[in-house]
Amino acid sequence: MANYVEFNNIKKGFAGVQALDDISFRVEGGRVCALMGENGAGKSTLLKILSGDYIADEGNILIDGKPVVFSSPHGAIKASISVIYQERQLVPGLSVMENIFIEDLPTKGIRIDKAALRSKTQAILNEFELDFSPSEIVGKLSVAHQQMVEIMKAYRRNSNIIAFDEPTAPLSEHEINTLFKVIRKLKSDGKVIIYVSHRMAEIFQISDDIVVLKDGNLVCELKSDETNELELIKAMVGRDIGDTYAELKRNDKIGEVVLEVRHLETDDVHDINLTLRKGEILGFAGLVGAGRTELARAIFAADPIKSGEILLEGKPVRFKSPKDAINAGLALCPEDRKEQGLVLERTISNNVSSAVLSKVRTGPFLSKQKEQKLANDAVKMYSIKTPTIEKQCIELSGGNQQKVILGRWTSEQVVTKVLILDEPTKGIDVGAKAEIYQTVCDFAKAGLAVIFISSELTEVINLADRIIVMAEGRITGTMTRQQATEENVLKLAMHH
Amino acid sequence: MAELATSVKKVIKSKMFALIMLLAMLTTFMQFGTDGMFLHPINIRTILDMMIITGMLTIGSAMLLISGALDLSMGAVGTMAGMLFAVLLRYYGVHWSVAFLICLALAAMFGVVNAILVNFARFPAFIATLGMAFVAEGVSFLFAGGANISLSDPFMRALATGRFMNNTIPFSILILLVFFIVYGLILSKTKFGRQIYLVGGNPHASRLVGINPRKISFILFINSSMLGAIAGIMFNSRVAAATTLGITERQFFGLIAAILGGVSFGGGTGGLGGAFVGLLIFSAFGNGMFLLGVDSFWNQAMFGMLLLVSMAFDYLRTVGWKNIIGRRSL
Amino acid sequence: MDKSVTVKKSDGRLGRIVSYVLNHKVSLLVVITIIVVSFFQTMNPNFLREQNILIMLIITSFIGFLGLGVGLLLISGQIDLSTGAVTVMSAVLVALLINAGIPWPLAALITLVFGAVAGAITAFLVNGLGMMSFIATIGMMSVWSGLALVVTRGNPITINDPGFWALSDIRFFDTIPLLFVILLFLVVLYGFMLSQTKFGRSIYIVGGNKNAARLAGINPKRVQNILFINAGAISALCGILFASNFRRGDPVAITLGMDAITAAVLGGISFAGGAGGTGGFLVGLLLLSFFNNGLNISGVGPYWQTFARGAILIAALLLDYLRSRQREKVIRAGTAEKTAAKSK
Repeated sequence: MANYVEFNNIKKGFAGVQALDDISFRVEGGRVCALMGENGAGKSTLLKILSGDYIADEGNILIDGKPVVFSSPHGAIKASISVIYQERQLVPGLSVMENIFIEDLPTKGIRIDKAALRSKTQAILNEFELDFSPSEIVGKLSVAHQQMVEIMKAYRRNSNIIAFDEPTAPLSEHEINTLFKVIRKLKSDGKVIIYVSHRMAEIFQISDDIVVLKDGNLVCELKSDETNELELIKAMVGRDIGDTYAELKRNDKIGEVVLEVRHLETDDVHDINLTLRKGEILGFAGLVGAGRTELARAIFAADPIKSGEILLEGKPVRFKSPKDAINAGLALCPEDRKEQGLVLERTISNNVSSAVLSKVRTGPFLSKQKEQKLANDAVKMYSIKTPTIEKQCIELSGGNQQKVILGRWTSEQVVTKVLILDEPTKGIDVGAKAEIYQTVCDFAKAGLAVIFISSELTEVINLADRIIVMAEGRITGTMTRQQATEENVLKLAMHH
Repeated sequence: MAELATSVKKVIKSKMFALIMLLAMLTTFMQFGTDGMFLHPINIRTILDMMIITGMLTIGSAMLLISGALDLSMGAVGTMAGMLFAVLLRYYGVHWSVAFLICLALAAMFGVVNAILVNFARFPAFIATLGMAFVAEGVSFLFAGGANISLSDPFMRALATGRFMNNTIPFSILILLVFFIVYGLILSKTKFGRQIYLVGGNPHASRLVGINPRKISFILFINSSMLGAIAGIMFNSRVAAATTLGITERQFFGLIAAILGGVSFGGGTGGLGGAFVGLLIFSAFGNGMFLLGVDSFWNQAMFGMLLLVSMAFDYLRTVGWKNIIGRRSL
Repeated sequence: MDKSVTVKKSDGRLGRIVSYVLNHKVSLLVVITIIVVSFFQTMNPNFLREQNILIMLIITSFIGFLGLGVGLLLISGQIDLSTGAVTVMSAVLVALLINAGIPWPLAALITLVFGAVAGAITAFLVNGLGMMSFIATIGMMSVWSGLALVVTRGNPITINDPGFWALSDIRFFDTIPLLFVILLFLVVLYGFMLSQTKFGRSIYIVGGNKNAARLAGINPKRVQNILFINAGAISALCGILFASNFRRGDPVAITLGMDAITAAVLGGISFAGGAGGTGGFLVGLLLLSFFNNGLNISGVGPYWQTFARGAILIAALLLDYLRSRQREKVIRAGTAEKTAAKSK
């Protein structure tokens, strides 16, 4: 039985961005430690190091004072560590009992002992007060029940260290209550429990200790019964805003309404109403999965719309595909640069010209001169660091890749009226971020209407003229930059 | 001077250079192995004579591979079209030009079905097109009840077998060159060609810059079926008969030539220049084996091995490329 | 909040019928099979005659052997298109060995080893060299059927060993050929392995969620390698019995391999991996055989049969597509699935 687990000077960086910087803390057995922080604070990275998915650059993990090293997630499980992720690690075609006992199915001779399997699983199901059958096929269960299977799988392993990554997101009230009962039981058994959640109420209900991370640093360690919601939010937000925002040259001439969305419904977002003006930067804040990306994609016609209306410059529009949206003057810089933004194996110039191929032609053929001019303009305008525009995008840094995408939508050949930026600063180092902030302000000055989606609160509330907060697919609040504080935005984003 | 050195280095490192070196090595080997028979004008003519068939299949395969898909029904569709062509000419007295258009239209329908299965029912391209190959085979049986039909339209025969300049250069190779140049220009110089590369490189990203990947896919599947049909008709005109076997056996020739020519299986890379050299290598290899006296029973096994070897090269290329990236990110 | 509930609600009556049908596919297949059988029986009373049934059972067995090999691979998320060619090569090989004076049991054993080696080569191409399995096995298909032509110079090799012939002449209850009994035995054996043993379950885990497999300490490549070797060996067995039945090793390519895939997919083994079993497979196999044979004896020409072969394959795949879409609906929210799809 483990008495404690200790994180010892853990450091981890990705392509120049320090995701975790010298994190040290200790979690005692028999206590629930909540790991808190904004998106990108480093919680998931820390859990992935614990589960053996990532290997720390420096530092190590100690269990009862002994350093543990494992080369794979399977090794972590063998070391009695279970991490329950939001992404379910289930096999949809197998039954509940087979999924729960996936690593060591009980056998009788060469046969799997189905009777033992069933009764063991039934016992766990009873404990969790769930009424589906052990032989039910997992793919047929609801998402909430699938999540419970994932939790039971970790519970069954009887691991000494159990980490939950937002376990309650898909669960209903009843299931959350049973989960908490189980966690309390695990706690009384003396297990080490790490719990990540964005839901304030839960944190105070279930945790004993709270560790707050921000930008890869450990901000503070608190005792749950000695702190309160306000103090916790303050700790998560931090107070280290530099002068970056004060130095921005902003646009002060906001014009008429360019884009209006009325009662928009899709599979993921509900009853969305918003207006966006010329020269305005409209920020979207919210937690991961709040529906901001989905909203952007729906407006851009990348995903289907169920009902509702979109008006561009006062006229109702119905885009059938992104192509229509682009022709009407919309532009989307997607969140996932590698998957959605760039054709990585192609050159900078090919990527910059990709949206305006008709405009770089002489007669029926593409003109190399015109294409190169376009690319050179983009390189100059955004000071993209590259020896040549014929370099493949895969060889560029994240910041420069982002600039290539921006260059695509702001060349003299595109008529962009509404620019949607989805997490434009994700995975980009601090210097490049400041450049992108000024670029965004310049867009507004040039008369573009900008939608700025970011999970970094500081960034949204300091850059945007107006902020819309989303939670669970709905808009939970709208405010001006002057009204917005990190506290009230975070509160709305955690609205439940 | 240094500039010259770097540009020479660049040339040496390029894919095209490697391919041409391979072709040169193969040619040298064959030339010595066959006591000078290989590069004899008559033999070169023999090689060129048949190249149009595999060449058409190579163009169709290369275009689809670059867009990230493939078509295994080209050969069977070609056989079917060739059979229909013969039936129309012989039993219905249709003029060759009309028959040609009808055959292309039928082939295009197969392309449409392939595209629907791949884009809407989301079948993997290989299984959808393999299934359609069976359907096409069945249909060509249907046209002639499994019989062979002789085909002797003077114009088509002249087109397929005729030569000019003292009976040296076949017409058909000129037709093929025109096709390669036109398709090469489309691929490298036009908006549509660029879109094929973008879709093959990243379909999600290309959709978000206003390209319709489905449209590209439909056009390319229709195109490959029609090229298959042209290959089938040319083949039948050459051998003056339509058989139920037709060019079905050559199903994979175009694929092998394209992959040999540096068109990657993953999509988004390669070009028709390389594919043409791939086609030369493929044709030279087949012909050289024959001249060396290798039993014709070896053909099928040889081509299978050639496919595997070209795939292995393709893999090594991508792995090498990935290694470079890996080192960079570390 | 609870997405699965809304999905269920939005399904209309038609949706419910569709989902019922898809969920009870095996019983549906049985019904279709009965319809097909009654149809052909009314069309041609010879359909259910002993002689025809015998022919049907033999062909069914050959397709069935290959189907078991490739079906297991499909469950694990791979495919093998070369099984038919390995069968041809094996038939030729066993014929050559027997004619060289090697006693037939030893010849058969050597041929089985050859099949396993052929499978191991495929496994190396796929998991060692990272080729896509369909293209690697197309290559291997060419290699094996080509080699069969090379060694025989295109002529069938007649076998003169009554002991070896007898292998396929054995009849149970005077009707059921030994071949079919071996097939049934293998279906039961593989069925037991798939549903009752750890290794069997690991095949589903590998095909259903590779990530989960690694977490559970299962090496996906190892499982798939074993299955490639298995497919090779069982194709060789098929080749041996084929040679025994026709008393010769015939190098002319046969399309059994494709029929085997059709039977597997028709019987509910998912093309996407991770689902299906031998019970459904057997019904799918019988349905396909009844259908093919019915067309045959009803005087439908060979061209229609080739056509039907492609059409049935596509129909089976469409059914599979509908079913997997159904499954996807339920786990739509599972991000693991989304990323898995993306990485493809």
